[in-house]
Formats: sequence, structure tokens, C-alpha cells
Amino acid sequence: MPTTSPQLQLATITSREYRPPGFWCVSIRCPDIARTAGPAQYVALDLPGGFAVRLPLGIFTVKGDDFTVLFQEWGERTTRLAHAAVGDSLTCIGPLGNQFSPPKRSGHAILAGGGLGVAALWLLARDLRAHDVKANIVIGARSADRLVGVRDLARHGFDVEVCTDDGSAGFAGTVVEKVRALRRPDVIYACGPRAMLRALCDHAEREGIDCQISMEETFGCSLGTCWGCVVPVRRGSAQGTSYPRASEEARDYDLARVCADGTVFHAKDVVWV
Amino acid sequence: MNGPNSAPLDTRVVIGSAVLRNPTIAASGCYNRGAEFGAIVDVSRYGAVTLKSITRHPRLGNDMPRIATTPAGMLNAIGLQGPGIEYFLTHEAPKLTSVPTAVIASVAGFTVDEFADVAAAMDGLPNVVAIELDVSCPNVDREGECFAAEATSLARVVEAVKSRVKLPVIPKLMPNVADLKPIARAAQEAGADAVSLINAVRGMVIDVVRARPMLANRSGGLTGPAIRPIAVHAIWEVAQTITIPIIGIGGVEKGSDALEFLFAGATAIGIGTANFRDPLVHVKVTEAIELEMQRRGASSVGQLTGLAHPGFAGKPGARGAPVATKETQA
Repeated sequence: MPTTSPQLQLATITSREYRPPGFWCVSIRCPDIARTAGPAQYVALDLPGGFAVRLPLGIFTVKGDDFTVLFQEWGERTTRLAHAAVGDSLTCIGPLGNQFSPPKRSGHAILAGGGLGVAALWLLARDLRAHDVKANIVIGARSADRLVGVRDLARHGFDVEVCTDDGSAGFAGTVVEKVRALRRPDVIYACGPRAMLRALCDHAEREGIDCQISMEETFGCSLGTCWGCVVPVRRGSAQGTSYPRASEEARDYDLARVCADGTVFHAKDVVWV
Repeated sequence: MNGPNSAPLDTRVVIGSAVLRNPTIAASGCYNRGAEFGAIVDVSRYGAVTLKSITRHPRLGNDMPRIATTPAGMLNAIGLQGPGIEYFLTHEAPKLTSVPTAVIASVAGFTVDEFADVAAAMDGLPNVVAIELDVSCPNVDREGECFAAEATSLARVVEAVKSRVKLPVIPKLMPNVADLKPIARAAQEAGADAVSLINAVRGMVIDVVRARPMLANRSGGLTGPAIRPIAVHAIWEVAQTITIPIIGIGGVEKGSDALEFLFAGATAIGIGTANFRDPLVHVKVTEAIELEMQRRGASSVGQLTGLAHPGFAGKPGARGAPVATKETQA
């Protein structure tokens, strides 16, 4: 999975769009990041004001010198970003993290996004279009009003199917149920809630389908130094810690940092505990 | 006074036998060798970097979640994840030659022997100029009481390590004690070359959706500007108690914070969580100290140390704070 060299950049907020019931899509001008970012990569933003560790957010869309981030106004940092003004400056470190690996030319992919997980799929859809890969995009949410990013994803010309748990829009059911009903793909790419990712990984493993997931954890440093955002991975997996296990250690897995070894992991490497 | 035409400022500080190019030190657990930060900033502008603490055996660390964000800071419970000393020596230690500044090794342990053995293995590694002791771990020989919580335990660790290593030894003191002064005094009497303080402050965040502690470990260490006044007070008190250098740590995020630490009695400034916001924080802190030296006509950083203490002598080159007065009540 390819990586790029991150940089510390001064950037400017160029637009902000409220997407009810609590989502924001904020556009940030930062040519070096916008022009080099790959699928599933993220930026770590620092907002002016009182102290907070950097806010890591996935790079959603890209246009020229600008990229957007899609997020829910939730805690202190996302509230500050949501209410920053157009023209405000901030610093970004990015692009960070590894990337989804593209499939072979003219293969068939399913892109599955749950909730804000769609943010990891836009750049992927762009690249798959350029690679001449056929793709179905499946986007799910609890209810119709919480579906986000659908029209942005649709811009690449792929079929976009929406699912809602309560049936208020599209397919009444989960993203996983929808994916199971679709033609068997060569690869599944997914980002979303943990339960969705786990079910998709199980499905992919049973069916022998290559599956790559972009994971989320609470980050501390966002750079790979603090080991705060680890996930269990299969022992010996390339992305995990390679050092030995203590004899009294009962846990039979290695750990990988979501921020620096991920965020993308192969389904076969992730250990669900 | 240092004017525009005078000699360059001497920002060096001395910790035992170690001479650092400037008083900024990346704190343990936040920077390690600086490899990740080296891609975006100049790590050589740090006076030293402190490695992540190494234990005798490999440790997988705590379960997730390990991090919670808090007002003006962060709560963490990583649980000393690490490869153990053997793997460290074969796989990590050779990379220390590429660190562009001085390295302080950090040792953690659960017994006195573990501290001594691991510290001895670190002594003499390339670029390593001092050994910090993460004595905030529970002491398994004393029903899990932290070494740094009690003067006798701490003294035993320091003495054992001092008997095995040539490098300066720096125990890192924890703030969760009734009185830091006798503990700092015990460290000095046991032969410590400096102390660093403070370690993270114990804290907890509860997830109100699950009605459970946010961290898998339940409690964690609070760091960031939220703990800065606790650190300033600890430095102030300890500076009036001991004469060895103090590495002040706890919530420094800008130049004026570092000056508070120096004036309270610190010789050097540890910077931890602030790196996670501003990777240039060390450069800004060093520049602020240089400006302050110019403003006050100081020829060495040591002349700023302890300035806030009543009756500070201000002798050139002095470590700073006067020893033991009645001004200890803050």
C-alpha cells in the first residue's frame, strides 16, 4: 500500500457548507496536499485557539488546489473547525497514512461506506474511474437524513446504492446485506463503523474476496510516535509490530498503529477482539 | 548586554556530564528517536530527545482505547508497549547513530533489578548521553506502590542504577504524591544527577454513552497545558529543596511557558504533548529563551534559572534556585 511524504503546511479555509443534521463539508486550500493526496489518506489539522492535539480528518474530495473534509460537529475540535470563517488560516500535516491499493485494470470493485466512512471513498472512486475499473458504491446510514456524501460520490459516474437501517431511503437494511446481494467483486473497499467493517471482513473471507478496510481510532500524535491508536493484527503481519511476545502474554496478536501503519488494512490481517 | 554585534548566545545546558546544545528536550513517549517528526521538522533543533521507555521484557501494552482528548490536554494509557531490551539492543539501538541530537534513554521497570539491568544495557549506546528512569511504574515488590511515590523505594532504584552505569541518571518524579520535596531529596542523596518532573497526572474520563471509563485501562495520565501550573509549582518546590538540575516537564506549548519553568528553577525544558499540535514548538521555545537571554543580558541559560524565587542570587552559571528557605509555601 503506497504512502507519501507528509508535510507541515499553512492552509486557508475556502468554503464551508452545513449539511443537516450536523455534518459539515469544509474546503481547505493547500496545493501540496490537494495535489498529492491518495485514497484513504488524511490530514491532521491544528485550529487556532486553546490547546488541543491535532484533529485528524480523512481527505474527502479534491479540486485543484483545494481539498475538503467531511465531519460531524461533535467535540471541541470539530466545533471549532465547523465555525471557523472562510479566509481563516490553519496548519495541516499531510497527506498522512497509507492508501487503498488499486485492483487490476478492468476488474470489479465494491466501495462500501457507512456514515462518515464515505469520506475515504471519493478519491478511490476517482482513481478507479481513471483505472477503468468497474465499481458499485454502497452508502449506508441509520436513516435518510443521516446519509451524507451521496451526491459527491455519484459525480464519478458509478452506480451508487443507498441503504438505511430504517428503510427511509433506498435499500432497507445494512451496507453488508446490500454488498452480499451484489455480484461478487474482485475487491471490496470499506470504511465505516467497526461492526460494519467486521461483518464485511467476515463476508470477504468466507467468499475469498480481497478486502481492504480503512480503520478509525482516537489518535494522539497522528504521526506514529505515541502508540495510542493501535489495532490488533495477525502475528507476523507486515503492518504490525515485529518484536517478540513476552512468555506471560496471553494475547496472541501483534499491534499496528492506525495513524501510521494504516489507516488501510487487509481484512485478512485484522484481528477482531 | 548582548547587542546585535555581540557573540552568539550560548544556549547550552549541562545535566551531569551531558552537555545539551539547548535546553529543549523531547519528553519520553512523545517523540522516541524523532524519526516520525524528522520528516516534517528539524529534530536537530532539540537539545535532546528522550526515547520511549524500555522494559526488560516485551510488552504489548494496554487494550484500546488508550487515548482520550480532554480540555487543554490529553489522557493516555499506552501501558509501556515496547519490544523489551533485547530486541531494542539488536534492532533499535543501531538506529540511534542517525539521531541528529543527543539522546536520553528511558528505562521502566517493575523491580529494582529490572531498572538496574536495563539501564546498564543502555549505558554506552551511541548518542545516549543520559538515562531517565520512569519510576512511576508500580513496584511489584511493594504491592504495586509506585517507586516514585515513596522516598525509600526511589532511593533504592537510583542507587542500584548508579552503581551500574556511568551516564547521568535522571529519575522522573510523579506529581501524585502528598509531598514531592522528601522524594526529590532522596533522589539527590541516592546519587541522581538530575530529576525530571512532572510525569503525567493521573486522571479519568467517563464515556457517558456507555457509562464506563473511556480508557480500557480506566485511568490514564493527563498531559498537556492542563497540567502546566501543577508542573510549575512542583519545579518551584523542588528547586528550593535540591541542588541538582531539574528538567521541567508538563504542558509547555510556547516560549513563555518555558520561561515560567526556568524562572521556577528548571535547567532544561521537556516538551511532550505540544509536539502533537505544533511540531515546531521546540524551535519557538528555544528562540523565546534566546530573546529572553538578550533582554536580560544573560550570557547563559543558567542565569535565567530560578529567577522567580525571592532572594535569587543570579550568579552567572549558577544552577539557579536558592536552597531551602521558608518560601516553600505557595
